[in-house]
Amino acid sequence: MVFSVGGRMTGVAPTQGTLMTSFNDTRHLWALGACLAAVGLVGMAVRREMVPDDFGTKGPYRASALDDIAAQPSLFQADATCHACHESVEHERAGTSHEAVGCTHCHGLAVDHVSIARRGAEDPTVTLPPAAEWDGDFLTKTDLYISKDRATCLSCHQAVVGMPADFKKIDVAVHLEEQGASEPLSKETCFECHGGHDTAP
Amino acid sequence: MSLFELPILPTLGAAAAGGCASGGCSSGGCGTGGCGSAQAERTSENSRREFLKTATTLTLGAMSLTLLPGVTAGDDMLPLPPPGGDGHAPAAKPMYGFLIDTTKCIGAGKCLTACRVENSVPEGQSRTWVERYVHYKDGRVEVDLVPETGYAGSGEVQPAAEDVLRAYFVPKLCNQCVDAPCNQVCPVHASIKSPEGIELVDTERCIGCGYCVQACPYGIRFMNHDTGVADKCNWCYHRVMRNEQPACVEACPTGARVFGRIDDPDSEISRRLATVPTNVLKQHLGTLPLTRYVGLTDEVT
Ligand code: SF4
Ligand code: SF4
Repeated sequence: MVFSVGGRMTGVAPTQGTLMTSFNDTRHLWALGACLAAVGLVGMAVRREMVPDDFGTKGPYRASALDDIAAQPSLFQADATCHACHESVEHERAGTSHEAVGCTHCHGLAVDHVSIARRGAEDPTVTLPPAAEWDGDFLTKTDLYISKDRATCLSCHQAVVGMPADFKKIDVAVHLEEQGASEPLSKETCFECHGGHDTAP
Repeated sequence: MSLFELPILPTLGAAAAGGCASGGCSSGGCGTGGCGSAQAERTSENSRREFLKTATTLTLGAMSLTLLPGVTAGDDMLPLPPPGGDGHAPAAKPMYGFLIDTTKCIGAGKCLTACRVENSVPEGQSRTWVERYVHYKDGRVEVDLVPETGYAGSGEVQPAAEDVLRAYFVPKLCNQCVDAPCNQVCPVHASIKSPEGIELVDTERCIGCGYCVQACPYGIRFMNHDTGVADKCNWCYHRVMRNEQPACVEACPTGARVFGRIDDPDSEISRRLATVPTNVLKQHLGTLPLTRYVGLTDEVT
């Protein structure tokens, strides 16, 4: 043992006084102290390096992370964003059963459309590209389209097991037959009777 | 307390004393000093007996307290969790809440696309999903997931309506537990409970260990394939901080998802929470979710 006490370990626990006087080589204690101090210093340096400066100022986390996360852009367009320019549509839809249906559901996510429009508001040379054709697939995420494709209507209204009883749902074939649609195979068949923004009847 | 001073105590004491004689004293440490004289043995046995007596009485006494009415949890209508980031801090403002009305969800899946676009979640993963519970007339209950296109766009074969007793949709998202297990396990403090009570991931600090994914009892967290770090629903914290609604709420055409301030009694969510009976998922786990549900059945977990 490096730190044996002068070879005087007799099995009887020495009192503190005899412990102190029984060292004949304090060099070892100094070495131990130096080692501990070195470990402590390295530890402090590592901690300083690893722990962000603002850690713990708001809670047990990096406080600036809140700002980092809050800086993420809002991509999904709220209706209010659309209505800021398309005011007439807001009036057409007010009070209809489709008032709460997001513009994006029938017109695409319009992420590019809105960002270009925002730039256009400051720089008149920027022009908005026209709306595209929709391919009928929601997963394609076409940016902006104006569509009367019945797939947009049916994405909500086709009867599916699990829908609430009071929700207006249809079985397309049955509904078209009942209503006597002139072109049941047409993509735009819903619009033969129903409006778009004002949804009548 | 006297009720619990049963004859079992001397027996326990004797057994413990025997244990010392046969095992304890034969070992080196005991043999050299402690158990030397008979006097010492009796004293140590007496104090051991005293200790066992006191300990047993206290334990049984404490256990008996749980029998008292009012001490046990399990009320059907838990009050809202106390406002405040970690559940112990003083009430923070603003404090947000989320209400899911399963009686309004039509399973159109609009919220799924909205969330994916808003938060750049890779295909095949999702921060939120919608489950459909179908109770058949023969007693079976089946659960499936609403596709992102809605069932209409997916071409999936649907259960025959005449076999079905009842069916409903249950949207799932982060419960923003006040006592969040996911937060507690993070070794690098990358799981954040924001002052508003919203659970966030610090993607810069996250080391991708996945502990939190294991810890969340609701399966909300996942390792994002693109970033390699933990990802989860954060109620669109960035939108909320701009006074906007979360993307899924904005997208929902039927108002099945309601978000707002629960510290403001005039907000829509406060009014609905005050008038409609609501419940939380896995209440028995004591995570104190802020996301509340209308119309949960026993089958939904
Ligand atoms: S639902 Fe899961 S991810 Fe959300 S706060 Fe609770 S434990 Fe964490
Ligand atoms: S995956 Fe990231 S956030 Fe989750 S426990 Fe590990 S370090 Fe923390």
